[in-house]
Amino acid sequence: MLPVEAAIHRVLRDLKLTTVLKAALACAVVVCFWVGSDDVRIVALLGIGSLWFWLSLSSARGSRSAAESPALIARGQFEEAERNIEHTVRSFSLFRAVKLQALHHLAVLRHAQRRWQESAALARALLGQRLGPLQPLSRSTRLLLADSLLEMNDLRGTFDALAGLHREPLSLAEMVNLLAVELDYSARIGAWEPMMQDVMSKVQLAELMPSRPSARVQGMLALAARKTGRRELGDWLAARAQLLADVHQLASERPLLSEVWP
Amino acid sequence: MEPAEQGGFLEVGRLLDASRPAPRVNLLLWMAGLLLLVVLGSTLAGNQFPFARNAVALLSLLAMAAMIGGMSAYSVYILGRYRAEQRQVEQIGEWVQLRRWPEAAVAVNQYLSSPSRNHGLRVQALVYLASVLGRWHRFDDAIAVQNRLLEEGMLDAGAESAVRVGRAMAMLREDHLFDADRAISELRRCPAAGSAGLFLVEIYRDVKTGHPAEAIELFEQKLTVLRDGLGHRLADVWALAARAYDLLGREAEAQKAFVNATLLAPAGELFRRYPEVEKLSGRYQPAPAPAEAA
Repeated sequence: MLPVEAAIHRVLRDLKLTTVLKAALACAVVVCFWVGSDDVRIVALLGIGSLWFWLSLSSARGSRSAAESPALIARGQFEEAERNIEHTVRSFSLFRAVKLQALHHLAVLRHAQRRWQESAALARALLGQRLGPLQPLSRSTRLLLADSLLEMNDLRGTFDALAGLHREPLSLAEMVNLLAVELDYSARIGAWEPMMQDVMSKVQLAELMPSRPSARVQGMLALAARKTGRRELGDWLAARAQLLADVHQLASERPLLSEVWP
Repeated sequence: MEPAEQGGFLEVGRLLDASRPAPRVNLLLWMAGLLLLVVLGSTLAGNQFPFARNAVALLSLLAMAAMIGGMSAYSVYILGRYRAEQRQVEQIGEWVQLRRWPEAAVAVNQYLSSPSRNHGLRVQALVYLASVLGRWHRFDDAIAVQNRLLEEGMLDAGAESAVRVGRAMAMLREDHLFDADRAISELRRCPAAGSAGLFLVEIYRDVKTGHPAEAIELFEQKLTVLRDGLGHRLADVWALAARAYDLLGREAEAQKAFVNATLLAPAGELFRRYPEVEKLSGRYQPAPAPAEAA
């Protein structure tokens, strides 16, 4: 298994290295036009051009292979995903985005493996970088960070990670993930009234989730409904959640939910 | 005229052909050739006119800078167009998920009316087109799209299974029972074997062809797999189970199953998806819903 600290160190080092290499190649091209005999200049320019072309080509190949990682993680093929990501992290790429994406994929993989601390460390390292055109990645990375911190019971960190996400243009998938993390967080701090705001929109979003997360979210909403005196709504939500998952298992993961299904 | 306005709305044959990506020019090779030409040209010119060597070098440098700049600007432009197309397809997907069918239909018709720039995005849009057609009960058209997707072989294993499940359901809805049976046999041999999607199709087939006992047996055996794999579409399974119990005269169980189905999805939605389930309407009570959900 790829150690997280080593992966972060390697990616950051490679990012610096590629910046230096790109600057060096550009300088070399300029120098070629002013220095040396014609024959040497032609050979040097062709050499630099070929090197640049070869590096771009191999980086593009690496980028294609790196793009397979999310699908492997989604299918639960963690070992293959690990190998794929490790290969991307260890191999050279001229493209900054490929390296940063590899870091993101590793954070997603560690999250799927329930290695919360490592996932959080990767997410933090990624958010500390200048993302440029990969800026939309920061939203899903913050969601990942918030969820990992919540699993580690770091409520302050979760709040910081979630702050401001509502003001950003989120995709539907991101809204669904945000809802799950936010309700989990709100239930832990007992913010029952905010949980009940626009409750049916939240229920609609929960209906788009896979069975287990959907059941958990509806269980949290059921608890909030009961805490705020909306018994009928609470019972309805609890009954729906009960159909979607084993509620005892849900309660063992989130002890708060044992109040819904004593 | 806008591309979306040409031809009929959601006309499957036209959309399948019009969306085919146009062949691409390999710009990289052209640029490499041009670069070589500039280098050779500047060297020759430098040899021919030694007195203007510095000017030639400067011009070559400017030409190369322009080419590199042009290439970068073109790449940014292409990337921008790709991202816009990606956003367009993601938006269609979101409308399909949110069941905002009219918006999804208009957008998918517009997107597929001109050549796509990316095979993957086109495939995704075709999957959404099949969903929209199914929603509007144009099952033969949906099957045509799904067949094309499977023939073109551009789906990954997960997407292929989902398309095969959707196609089998569409065949059952359209009473193509022989084809549906063959599609189910194919599903048993692909990665969808043992999946919740396949069990749902089999239960529907059994209900549709008047084999309620088999439907109930499968339902009771595979309820955990169905529950874990279908999300809120578990409502479909409960609704079909209710119909199967009803066909067997097991009314108490039919009532319980109908309540569970309508807890997860509105009765009207379930009747729309499965006309067979509509026969339960008025005979069994749906789950009581709180005022907020009414």
